[in-house]
Amino acid sequence: MRRRLLGTALAMGALLLAACTNNPYPDEDSSRKILYSEIAEPPKTLDPAVAYSTADHAVTGPVYETLLEYHFLIRPYVLIPGIATRVPAAQPLPGGRVAYRFELRDDLLFEDDPCFALGGEGEREGRTTRSVRAADVAFELMRIADPEVNSPVVTTFWKIEGMREFGERLASRREADPGFAELRIDRQYQAAGPVEGLRVLSETELEIVLSAAYPQMLYWFAMQFATPVPWEAVAHYDGKEGRDAFAEHPVGAGPFRLVRYQKRSRIALERSPNWYGIRHPEARAPAATYPTEGEPGDEALGRLDPAYLGRALPFIERVELRYEKETIPAFNKFLQGYYDASGVIQESFDKIIHEGNLSAEMQAIGMRLEKSIVPSVYYLGFNMDDPEVGRRAGERGRKLRQAMSLAVDAREFTRIFANGRGIPAETPIPPGLFGYEEGYRNPYRELDLARAQRLLSEAGYPNGIDPGTGKPLHLSFDTGDTSARGRLRYLFFVEAWRKIGLDVEIAATDYNQFQDKVRRGAYQIFFWGWVADYPDPENFLFLLWGPMARSASSGPNTANFSDPRFDELFLAMRDRANDQRRLELIREMRAILERERPWIELFHPESYGLYQPWVRNVKPLGMSFSTLKYQDVDPELRARLREEWNRPVRWPAYAMAALVVVLVIPGVVTFFRERQ
Amino acid sequence: MGAYVVRRIAYGFLVVLGVLLFLFVLFFGAVTPEDMARRAIGEKAPPEAVAQWIVNHGYHRPRLWNPEHPADTLLFDHFRSMLSFDFGRSDADDVPIERRLREGIAPSLSLTLPLFLLGLFGGIALSLFVAYFRDTYIDTVGVALCVLGMSVSIVIYIIGGQYLIGKLLRWFPISGFDSSPAVILRFLALPISVALAAGIGESVRFYRTVFLEETNRDYVRTARAKGCGDGRVMSRHVLRNALIPILTRVVMAIPFLFTGSILLESFFGIPGLGSMTVDAINGNDFATLRVMVFIGSLAFVAGQILTDVSYALVDPRVRLG
Repeated sequence: MRRRLLGTALAMGALLLAACTNNPYPDEDSSRKILYSEIAEPPKTLDPAVAYSTADHAVTGPVYETLLEYHFLIRPYVLIPGIATRVPAAQPLPGGRVAYRFELRDDLLFEDDPCFALGGEGEREGRTTRSVRAADVAFELMRIADPEVNSPVVTTFWKIEGMREFGERLASRREADPGFAELRIDRQYQAAGPVEGLRVLSETELEIVLSAAYPQMLYWFAMQFATPVPWEAVAHYDGKEGRDAFAEHPVGAGPFRLVRYQKRSRIALERSPNWYGIRHPEARAPAATYPTEGEPGDEALGRLDPAYLGRALPFIERVELRYEKETIPAFNKFLQGYYDASGVIQESFDKIIHEGNLSAEMQAIGMRLEKSIVPSVYYLGFNMDDPEVGRRAGERGRKLRQAMSLAVDAREFTRIFANGRGIPAETPIPPGLFGYEEGYRNPYRELDLARAQRLLSEAGYPNGIDPGTGKPLHLSFDTGDTSARGRLRYLFFVEAWRKIGLDVEIAATDYNQFQDKVRRGAYQIFFWGWVADYPDPENFLFLLWGPMARSASSGPNTANFSDPRFDELFLAMRDRANDQRRLELIREMRAILERERPWIELFHPESYGLYQPWVRNVKPLGMSFSTLKYQDVDPELRARLREEWNRPVRWPAYAMAALVVVLVIPGVVTFFRERQ
Repeated sequence: MGAYVVRRIAYGFLVVLGVLLFLFVLFFGAVTPEDMARRAIGEKAPPEAVAQWIVNHGYHRPRLWNPEHPADTLLFDHFRSMLSFDFGRSDADDVPIERRLREGIAPSLSLTLPLFLLGLFGGIALSLFVAYFRDTYIDTVGVALCVLGMSVSIVIYIIGGQYLIGKLLRWFPISGFDSSPAVILRFLALPISVALAAGIGESVRFYRTVFLEETNRDYVRTARAKGCGDGRVMSRHVLRNALIPILTRVVMAIPFLFTGSILLESFFGIPGLGSMTVDAINGNDFATLRVMVFIGSLAFVAGQILTDVSYALVDPRVRLG
């Protein structure tokens, strides 16, 4: 009996071990065209009027199609029509106002969803979808102005005439009349409307009127904030009586639809059969067809493969997103073939990358590395309101900032702390944007300690000594990062400034306390970064525009830089299209920043993306826009390589079992023998 | 016993109130509504959007005292919503917290329940085994392995387990979770094995000591004298009499099965209530955090009361009063 039990246990153990697999996906999915990707944080919201993070956009991007898009391959970035038929031109109106007339395609349908069967004609017809109309875009724009929606970009859309007033009317009517707040959402908007700058001219035509010229507005129509949204979805998915909330139940007109939303573990998207590109591939719409032209180099990198040119999108049938909180397990799963793409984590950098290229080991298994400069900038900023380093210190402060700028070696910093992934920044504007000039060298962004010390002497701090105290000038480097890694990073700057005689102390507090210090203006030097929302120099230079100062308006100008000439030039630059005059304006602004040094520009980071050999058509866009519809996978190659890479090693289990038996059995036998 | 239970519940209620007050003071001592808003809607949000978020979430109200409407304060609302179990919506993503709890409890239980049962029965079985072979090399090696196992942090077990079993041996997925019946066991195998390995040493040592203490008592000698076999003595007599210290550990742990495991869930990407707590801390999500702390304090109080009651139930000598 005992022997039989032991035998059964051993057989079950062996069977269990034989069934072991590290494949996190159902076996039947291995032959399907599924793209597997990971997200480092769960989406906060899928409401396109609110979604603003990379994690949000990973889901909303493929679901909500925008009026305009960026060309997949061509750089600098070029806008192409999305669900609009063309990119509209600005039409000047009296009083400095500007109009844009969008014409939507006439073959657009929303994805299938039960919300369309609710109420009115939808109920009568029992329909599951309907055409996309210009009014759906207007509805979404009105949602952005709605205070209850709380869109983070509301102030940008206030540039549309009457948007702000519409939001105020809506709020006051809701407050005054609780019955009004209970009305269906589209009826509330109708009653509080109209918005002067939103004109629905026909089923497919929408005119937007801005109260002043703002050429960058077109970029906002390439973002999901201004996507068509059906009122039925917002009205129905109210989060009450067991219904989903609209922020978790997107209903769009994009190439994919959400089919599973367990945001803290698994999200799945599937091809939407209602997408115009799938229903009408013969139309060869620009945003529904693989491009036939690209940049020099795209062909060599396989992005202009004749097998794809001009083909109808999308190529993959499903997207699986998994939430991975920890980077190391996520990267290991990528190396096992269970994710199709990954960044290069710091811990494995030296194993994966060798002198800026893939290591021989990675190349041998067919892995690909895609490098691209991210349209962003990291910098050190001075609080210009500070009496010591800011504008109140006059020429003394200016020379101090110039000297400190000359002491920081950005190339070395990038090499040590970003594994060399980035290029030194000379101005706030990153490569790939209008106004970036490759040949320009900022005279204060080279390492020159002798000149720095001369400037310090001229500022009244010979050898960095503060004449008031007779000791090295004491300054504070304020940060909200208390990690050991952060401290090392900031010590680099402290050490650089120590070489010119300055005594800079790291004042590290937790993030919330640091925010509080920034609010109170109690900081001197800080480290910050900015990633572009859209590819225009205005999106970087506004970080130094006076009216955006943190102290004056809680804006993103954390340096509190304010220079009348710079502000004047900014307005002129902002309102112009990309032409020679605009470039000249940018050059003049650049010269002011060069001299005034509110920032010490550090670097524009370079993203290193790793892709499995079975992934096709990848080109990083740098900004948070979805390119999933262009990507493809070869499931057969993936299945073969995954099997090859993941054969379980079973002998240690057998060895361990044998060891236990060898150790325990003699003891048990001896024990019983002695007892007898 | 009824009066005793009522008194303990009343004490427990005071403990929960104290915990809630402490949490409120600690949280708002470190975090401002602006910080919460920026975490929720993004660093790039303009001040107008931040101000609107604060109003929409009610954080514009006075924290402690409102002379015009004494009930319209954050503190009052904090206690009202918790004590009426009206948990509201998450500050991070506006999802109803009650729904989030419902979604999180199944992944948590799918991890903690098997872990609890395997740990309990595995620990008892192993400790009976080593206690049975006391004073032999099996006992010595067993105790040495237990001490060795207890001396290593669970984080090392987790990282080592992921590296060895997930990456090198490729037996199970390194991390992740999928509730589909076809694959769920793959995801649970590694965290359960790792946690068992990390916790079994301490359990075996504890239970072994309890069993050895019992085996030296008179009733064991009597049972043996009456002709009871070793197996029967251990399973019928020793095990039953060792129940009180075992119950202390076990009953106290039961309520916490529902709150999940913070470390395991975070490292293995299991979307349970433990990792939800960590996300709430990282995201300045006060609404969710206070619910998790409230549930944790309720679980603690419930565990203590249950332990006391279970003493009385299993041991007629214990009288509660």
